[in-house]
Amino acid sequence: MLQGTLDLLILRTLVRGPVHGHAIAKAIEFNSDDVLQVEQGSLYPALHRLIKRKWISVEEGISENNRRAKFYKLTAEGRRQLAAETSKWDKMAGAIARILRPAEQEGE
Amino acid sequence: MKKRERMMKDLEEDIREHIETETQDNIARGMPPEEAHYAAIRKFGNVMRVEEDTRDVWSFVWLEQFGQDIHYAFRMLRKSRGFTAVAVLTLALAIGATTAIFSVVYGVLLQPLPYTDSNRIMSVFEVNSGGTWSRVADPNFDDFRDQSRSFQSIAKYHADIASVSGASEPTRTTVAAVSPGFLKVLGVQPILGRDFGAGDAKKGAGPTVLVSYGYWRQYLGSSRDLAQSHLKIDGGLFSIVGVLPSGFRFPADVDLWLPADLDGENPSRTSHNYSVVGRLRDGTTVQQANLDISAIARRIHDTSSEQGDYLLKDGIVVPLQDAITGKARSSLLLLLGAVGFLLLVACANVANLLLAQASVRERELAIRSALGAARGRLVRQYFTEAFLLALLGGSLGVLGAFWGLAGLVALAPENLPRLESVSINIPVLVFALVLSTAVAAGLGAFIAARATSGELRKGLVEGGRGQAGLQGSQRVGRVIVAAQIAITLVLVVGAGLFGRSLMKVLEVNPGFRVDKIVTMDVSLPWVDDPKAKAGQAIFFSNLIDRLKQIPGVRKVGATSGLPMDGGLPDGMFLLMTQNEIPKTTDGFGPLLQQKERIGNADFCVATDGYFQVLEIPLIRGRIFDGRDGANSPHVAVISESLARERWPNQDPIGHTIEFGNMDGDLRLLTIVGIVGDTHEYGLDAPPRPTVYVDLLQRPHAAITLTMLSDADMRSVASAARGILQNLNPEVAAKFQTFSQVYSTSLGSRRFNVILIGFFGITALLLATAGVFGVMAYSVSRRTREIGVRVALGAAPAGILRMILGQGLRTIFIGVAIGITASLALTRTVQSLLFGVTATDPVTFGGVTLLLVGAALLACYIPARRATKVDPMVALRHE
Repeated sequence: MLQGTLDLLILRTLVRGPVHGHAIAKAIEFNSDDVLQVEQGSLYPALHRLIKRKWISVEEGISENNRRAKFYKLTAEGRRQLAAETSKWDKMAGAIARILRPAEQEGE
Repeated sequence: MKKRERMMKDLEEDIREHIETETQDNIARGMPPEEAHYAAIRKFGNVMRVEEDTRDVWSFVWLEQFGQDIHYAFRMLRKSRGFTAVAVLTLALAIGATTAIFSVVYGVLLQPLPYTDSNRIMSVFEVNSGGTWSRVADPNFDDFRDQSRSFQSIAKYHADIASVSGASEPTRTTVAAVSPGFLKVLGVQPILGRDFGAGDAKKGAGPTVLVSYGYWRQYLGSSRDLAQSHLKIDGGLFSIVGVLPSGFRFPADVDLWLPADLDGENPSRTSHNYSVVGRLRDGTTVQQANLDISAIARRIHDTSSEQGDYLLKDGIVVPLQDAITGKARSSLLLLLGAVGFLLLVACANVANLLLAQASVRERELAIRSALGAARGRLVRQYFTEAFLLALLGGSLGVLGAFWGLAGLVALAPENLPRLESVSINIPVLVFALVLSTAVAAGLGAFIAARATSGELRKGLVEGGRGQAGLQGSQRVGRVIVAAQIAITLVLVVGAGLFGRSLMKVLEVNPGFRVDKIVTMDVSLPWVDDPKAKAGQAIFFSNLIDRLKQIPGVRKVGATSGLPMDGGLPDGMFLLMTQNEIPKTTDGFGPLLQQKERIGNADFCVATDGYFQVLEIPLIRGRIFDGRDGANSPHVAVISESLARERWPNQDPIGHTIEFGNMDGDLRLLTIVGIVGDTHEYGLDAPPRPTVYVDLLQRPHAAITLTMLSDADMRSVASAARGILQNLNPEVAAKFQTFSQVYSTSLGSRRFNVILIGFFGITALLLATAGVFGVMAYSVSRRTREIGVRVALGAAPAGILRMILGQGLRTIFIGVAIGITASLALTRTVQSLLFGVTATDPVTFGGVTLLLVGAALLACYIPARRATKVDPMVALRHE
């Protein structure tokens, strides 16, 4: 997986509100149609990296099956970062797409 | 740090929660609970690595891990103290020796001279017909100065010993005669008083002198009022005009500087009396200066009326630093190379130790790896340990170098220039640090590559017997030992060649006796007036008569140049008879063109006692005696080699020669005797043809008296000093034993032999230890196998042969490589050898035998131990 991609996916997952670790893993798996296979464990160093950068925060909460769990939440700075990273990502993805498929575009 | 603790605790909970949730999901999907749990863990990955990675997020990873590594490395080194001690001491020895030698190389060769922009200061030489360089004659210097465009300033100088009085006590001091601009070339200004001005150098000017800081402190009481002090130098009265800065002593050992040519220049273009230094103009390169000087020199050669072998053929410009250190360079670089070899041998030993250590630790590594330690981390661990070893060794080595350097400097030959600037200074310490780091990096890379290659988990699989990689590391160990033997062989061959050279030199019969001779250097002022000269002859004659009265002194002689003590002037003499003498010196020119008339010899002033004291044998005729008074016909005694070369198949006795160009006395010399040859310029230099003249007929100002004495030097010296004081209180003397002078002449050879011998022996010991270590280790690792062989009926002799055979193969490969390398390398030191060729079979054979013998012994002990293996014990082993 590309360096930073996981960070971006996590931020994206947290847009809808605070989520706990296992749910983030599930969401990434689900939303990416199981294309992005990662060991679930590698989520945690990434989460802590984001906490350290103050892009997300962590709070106590109760999970759906009524257990105490850590909930991760996007900060204001994280939201700004997500916007910036997303547009950067889009630009790059567009650029890569143009490089990979110029012939088809000409054909159309 | 607290925050991190909290975050890590949270993380543990989080992970537990995560896996629990995943397990529940799996159960919900219909898995049995146990399987559901394992599936969750598999999906999660390595919990410990996740925790470690997360911890890294919260820490200064690099620093913290480094701390851990160091901590761990210390623990490992403490745990195996024997290994640590041997490795650290080996490295300390090698790094210390290399640092000490480097400090000499740095101080002598690399450190810039202590003058402003010292790389712009050049030496200028004449190149004579034989291609060798010589000093510069006065008119040639004037042409260089006036016609060259390459130098800001250029000056000539000449240093000599003089008797100086007028200060707190009379001294024999080295005095330099320098032309104006000398200080400007070197970029030095007086700290007190003034530099020489144009007026000081004019012919007939009032004599002035500059003094060194040391002389000013010691003999002039640091007096700031220079006008009060005058110095009597060689009889002339000089007013002190300035004091030069502390530490400035150029040329070497000079304490007083006077203007040159106060009595006018020597008009001859073939009297090479002055050294020349110049400071390059900004933007001028050494090459440009060379072209410039060379063109002037060749013009002089083409146009001068003084044609002949002594006239310059060309000129050359070299940086002053190279001119000063040129002779020492090859010898010092040789030593640096030798100590570098020693360093390699030592590193090889440590590498082998590390290798053995690593295979012992294979299990530990396998466990750490299985527990999730990344390979990079293990590699870093090895590097940390190597660095710790090298830095410990390096620090200890530098301490040793401080101590060793004192010995090194004491041992160094007297003719090694700039010895006073040798010390353990910042650049040397930086060198030691860089060297230690390089050693650490090398060892670390080697051991990390060896130890972490291959499948680490094998260490666990093979029942923890630690057999994994055994074959491989044994092979590498043997390669290292072979390399060690090869390098050691080169070193010991080098030591052997130098040692045999020294022995051959000592076998040379010097042609004179050395022991029981006290020498006394006395110089009187240089004078030209024949009457004053005659007075000096009488003075020395009186001195000799009185010295003979000293109790214990049996015979006394005198000479203008003691063998092995700086050499004699040489020149061309003419064979002629009384009625052929030309009226003026110009008339000698055409005679010098007649090859059959000229000869070349050293010119030595001596007394009859000189031959007796030094026991230089009379071959034929007679030496000087009572017949040879100041006014009787002047006589000469010649050396055997001169008789052989100049008068082959003839009897030179009775021939007359003109050699007045040496001392200004044109009276002919009649050859009355032939004496044995002496090795004036060292035992390793061929004897020079020499003409001896009688001190009483041809007075000379600077004389060395030789006293054959049964009494010890100190009592003779104090008695002689008293006698001299009585005769002339303004003259100082320097005393030595002739053995000291003689032994000094062997200094550089002895220096090389002692150092390279020391390196060679140390390398030999290290290599032997290396062979022993690898063999003993191999035997101990193979105890089980040997036990099985014995159990199956192998005879002890067979086991011995097997182990020895294995060792021998390694040894012979090493020796073969070593001999090849030696043959290639020793050729480069041929010029430093004497009496042996660079491929001396005796040395090569002897060294090979010695090395093979030592290595075999080192193999034999472990091999013997292998034959003693008890199969029962061996099979229960481990």
